[in-house]
Amino acid sequence: MTFQDPRMFLWALPIGGLIVLMYLMRMRRRDLKVSATFLWPERQDEIRANHFFQKLKFNWLLVLQLLALALLLGGLARWQVRQTGLTGGTTVVVIDASASMGATDVQPSRFEEARKRLGSLVDGMQGGDRLAVIEAGPIPRVIAPLSNDSAKVKSALSGLGQTDAEADVGEALRLATALVGQAEGAKIILLSDGVFDPIENFSPGKSELLYEQIGKEGKNLAVTAMGTTDDPKGRQLFVGVKNTGGTELPATITISADKKAIFSVQTSLKPGASWGRTVRVPAGAEWLTGEIKSRDQLAADNSMTIPANPGKSMRVLLISRGNIFLERALALDSRVTLDRAAVVPEGEKRGSNGASKYDLVVFDGLTEVPVKARSILTFGAAGTPSPVTKEGRLSKPTFLDANAHPLLAGVDFGSVYVESGEKVAPRGSGQVIAEAKEGPLVVVSEGAQRQVYVAFNPVDSDFPLSIGFPIFVANVLEFLGGTDAASTLAVRTGQVLSIPAPSETPLPVTLPDGKVQEVPATAGRYVIRAFTVPGQYKWGSGDSQKFVQANLRSERESAITPVSTVEVSGNQVAANQKLDRFADLWKPLALFVLAILALEWWVYARRS
Amino acid sequence: MPEMLLEPRALRVLESLRWNPRQVHAGRIRGERLTRRSGLSIDFRDYRDYVEGDDLRHLDWNVFARLDHPIVKTYQDEEDLAVHILVDCSPSMDFGSPNKHALAKQIAFAAGMIGMLGGDAVIGHVLGRRLPPPPPMRGRAGVLSWDRWCQAIAPNGHEILGQSLARFVSGTHRVGLVILITDGLDPGFAELLRKISARGHELFVLHVLAPQEVEPDLEGDLRLVDSESEATVEITASQSAINEYKANLKAHCELAAYTVQHYGGRYARVTSEQSVEEIVREIWQREAWVR
Repeated sequence: MTFQDPRMFLWALPIGGLIVLMYLMRMRRRDLKVSATFLWPERQDEIRANHFFQKLKFNWLLVLQLLALALLLGGLARWQVRQTGLTGGTTVVVIDASASMGATDVQPSRFEEARKRLGSLVDGMQGGDRLAVIEAGPIPRVIAPLSNDSAKVKSALSGLGQTDAEADVGEALRLATALVGQAEGAKIILLSDGVFDPIENFSPGKSELLYEQIGKEGKNLAVTAMGTTDDPKGRQLFVGVKNTGGTELPATITISADKKAIFSVQTSLKPGASWGRTVRVPAGAEWLTGEIKSRDQLAADNSMTIPANPGKSMRVLLISRGNIFLERALALDSRVTLDRAAVVPEGEKRGSNGASKYDLVVFDGLTEVPVKARSILTFGAAGTPSPVTKEGRLSKPTFLDANAHPLLAGVDFGSVYVESGEKVAPRGSGQVIAEAKEGPLVVVSEGAQRQVYVAFNPVDSDFPLSIGFPIFVANVLEFLGGTDAASTLAVRTGQVLSIPAPSETPLPVTLPDGKVQEVPATAGRYVIRAFTVPGQYKWGSGDSQKFVQANLRSERESAITPVSTVEVSGNQVAANQKLDRFADLWKPLALFVLAILALEWWVYARRS
Repeated sequence: MPEMLLEPRALRVLESLRWNPRQVHAGRIRGERLTRRSGLSIDFRDYRDYVEGDDLRHLDWNVFARLDHPIVKTYQDEEDLAVHILVDCSPSMDFGSPNKHALAKQIAFAAGMIGMLGGDAVIGHVLGRRLPPPPPMRGRAGVLSWDRWCQAIAPNGHEILGQSLARFVSGTHRVGLVILITDGLDPGFAELLRKISARGHELFVLHVLAPQEVEPDLEGDLRLVDSESEATVEITASQSAINEYKANLKAHCELAAYTVQHYGGRYARVTSEQSVEEIVREIWQREAWVR
C-alpha cells in the first residue's frame, strides 16, 4: 500500500482545521421565554454556526466529516494497493499462438497456460478496465475488441486457437498499437515464450509494452530438412534432424516411404547438434516421411512429410530494389522458388553460356535487359527486349478498356490509381490487353519468350494495395509458367496458397483431422489459409484432386527454449515475472466517502 | 356593582354544590360538616351512661324505663371545613393563549364559592408571592370579599412555585381541604404534593396547562429562557426534541397524579382552553369532587 502523491495530506491541516473551527463556533440562537425549561431536553444540533466561540464538544457529525476528509485526501493522494492482474485502464493482451507455444514444458501446453493466465486477467477485470485480445498467429486477428464487459471477453476467448505455424508477433503488436497506441497509460501485454524474430518497425505510442514469459525450458528435436534430388542412380532423399533445445536427447529416427519404414536409427543428439542421412527413394513411392520418436516437448516438428515427386516448380528471379508486395504475391504460389537480385546476374543474360536457371525473371522498376529465361514480367521499365516502344511518360493515366484476357481475370484496373508510368506503343507480337486514354497499360507477347509488360511501377500506384494485385501476379504465373502443377505438394504451416477458381462455388478443403473447411472463391481464386497444423490437406476429386502436405519447417519455432528478453525495435524488453499493478483506491474511497456522507445525512435527519 | 369573575348562571350552579372530601377534618366552629366528635347534630352516634351534668334532653327515657339505668344518646358534632385555595401566581402562569392565570382565577373563585356557600372556611393563598393569607371567609357574606381577592391576584410573583409550596407546607395552617390550582411547572412538584398530603391535608389538584405547553409549536434554533428561574436551555426545535419534551411532560404529570391519588387526593389536568363551567361539570361533578 502506498500513496502516489502524499503531499495531498498537507491539505488535512487547513481543511481539517476549518472543519474543527466550524465546530468551535456556536450558533446565535433566538431567545424565547417559556413557562419552564426543565422539561426541555438539551438538544443542540449545530448545523449552523455564526458566532464565536464555544468549547469543542464531541459530535458524531464532526467525526464523520473528519473521516470523510481523511478518505477524500487519501483518494487525492492516490492511495494505491499492489494487485496482480490487469494493469489497469486500457489493456490489449497479445497471446502468442505460434507452434512453439505448443511446447509441453508447462502442462498441458504453453498456449493453454497463456490462455489460463489470460482467463485470470479477464476474471480480474474491474469496472473501469477495458480489455482487448489479439491472437498472434500467422495472420494476427482480434479475438475480442476493446470492451469492459468481462463476460463478453471471456466468451470470446473460446475463439482462441494455437497454430503449428510461425506467428507474426510483430504484426500483432502493431495491431495492438493501432487499438490503444493513442490511449494514455494503456498497456500491451504480450503472453509469449519469446520464440520469434526480433520485431522491427514497432512503436508502442503512448502505451507500454509488457512481456510475460510463458514456458520454463526447451527440450526439442526437430526434423529440420527433407528434400529430394535426382542423380544417375535414382532419386535420393535427405533427412536432417537437429537438437534445437538445451538438453541432450536420445531419439529414434525413422524414414519411411508411403508409411513403410526404409531406414531407422537410434541416436542421441547434444544441444545444437544435427544429424543427417541420405537414403534412396523406393521406386513408385508417393510420400516420404521423416519422423523422430523422442521425449521432447514439441510434437509438431517431430515429423515431416514431402511428396516423393516434387512436381513442377517455378524458379523466379526478382530484379528489384525491394518490393515486399511483389515478393509476397509471388510467394503465394507454392511452386515458386524466389531469388532476389538488384541486377541481372551475368549468367542469366542472353548471350552467356549455359541454360537459364530461372523460369521467370521479374523486372520491378528496373530497366528490362535481355535474359535467357523463357518468361519475363516487366513493371514500368521497358527495355530493348520489351514488346513495346517507349514514347515518353504517362501522368495519372485514365483507364479506358481491358480485354477479356486470362491475365486480367479478377483484376479491375478501373479502380487503380497510377501516379506515373511509361507511355509506350506495342511492337512486334505485343498485344495490348489493358489500355488507358494516354496509352497501353498492359502488353503481352507470346513469342519465343512469353512477356508481360506493365506500363507502371507498382510503387507508383495503389495497385499493390488492391485485391487485384496478388490475383494479377498469380494470373501472370499461370500464364507464364503454365497450370500443370503436380497433384501433390508440400507447404509450410501458416503458408497461404492461392489457386485459380474455375467457378464461384466454394472449395471444400478436407483438413488433417477429417473436417471440411469451405474456402470461398474471391475474384476468381481460392485463397487457402487453412494450413495451421501439420498434416495432409486435400481438395478436388478425380484427376483434379490435390494433396497438400503441411509441415512445420521452421528452425525458429523449433528452438523452443523460452526467451526472457525479447528485442523490440532495437530495445530489450525483459519479461515480467508477475503482472503487478498499483491500483488506485479512489473509487472505493469515493464510495466510502459517499456512504459516510449518507450516514451523516441520516444522523442529521434523525436528530432533526 | 363590579362584574364578578363568573356569570350569575354559573354561580347558581355552584350554590347547590358542596366539596366532597374523602376524609373528615376537624373544624373550629360549628358548621355543616359532621365530625368524629360528639356534638349537637341530629345524627345519632352512640349510647353511654349518664353522668352528672348531662343534658337531660338526651336521656333515653325508654331505656331508662326498661333497665332502670340512665343512658344518654350522643350525637355527631358538625363543624366547618377549612378549604385552602392555593392559586399559583408565579410568572409561569402568565403564559398561554388563553392565559392560564385567567382560568386559574375563575377556578379559584368557583372553588371558594362552593366552599363558602357550603359553610366552609375558605382561605385563599397566593403562590409566588409572600403575602399573608386573608382571613377565612364563610357564607354568602364572604362572596364579595372572595371575588375581590380573586380579582386582585396577578401572576406577578417573584418566587418559584416550589418555594411557595414549601412555605405553605411549613406553615401552621389548619388541616383541611387544599385545592391547588397551578401549572405545576417545578421539578419538585410531586414531592411537594407529597409533603402537603403528609401534613394531613386532603389535596385536590387542578393542573392547568396552556395548549402551547401541551403541544409546543416551536421551530428553529432557540435559547429557551425559564420565566421563573431565568435558566436557559439551547435547543434545536426538531421533532425529536419536541417528542422528548412531550414525554417529559407526560411523565411529570403522571407522577404528580400518582402522588396525589396515592394520598387519597384528587387530580385533574386541564387546559386553559377549558371553561370553568366545563371543569365543574366534567370533573368536579362527574368525578365526585363535589356533591
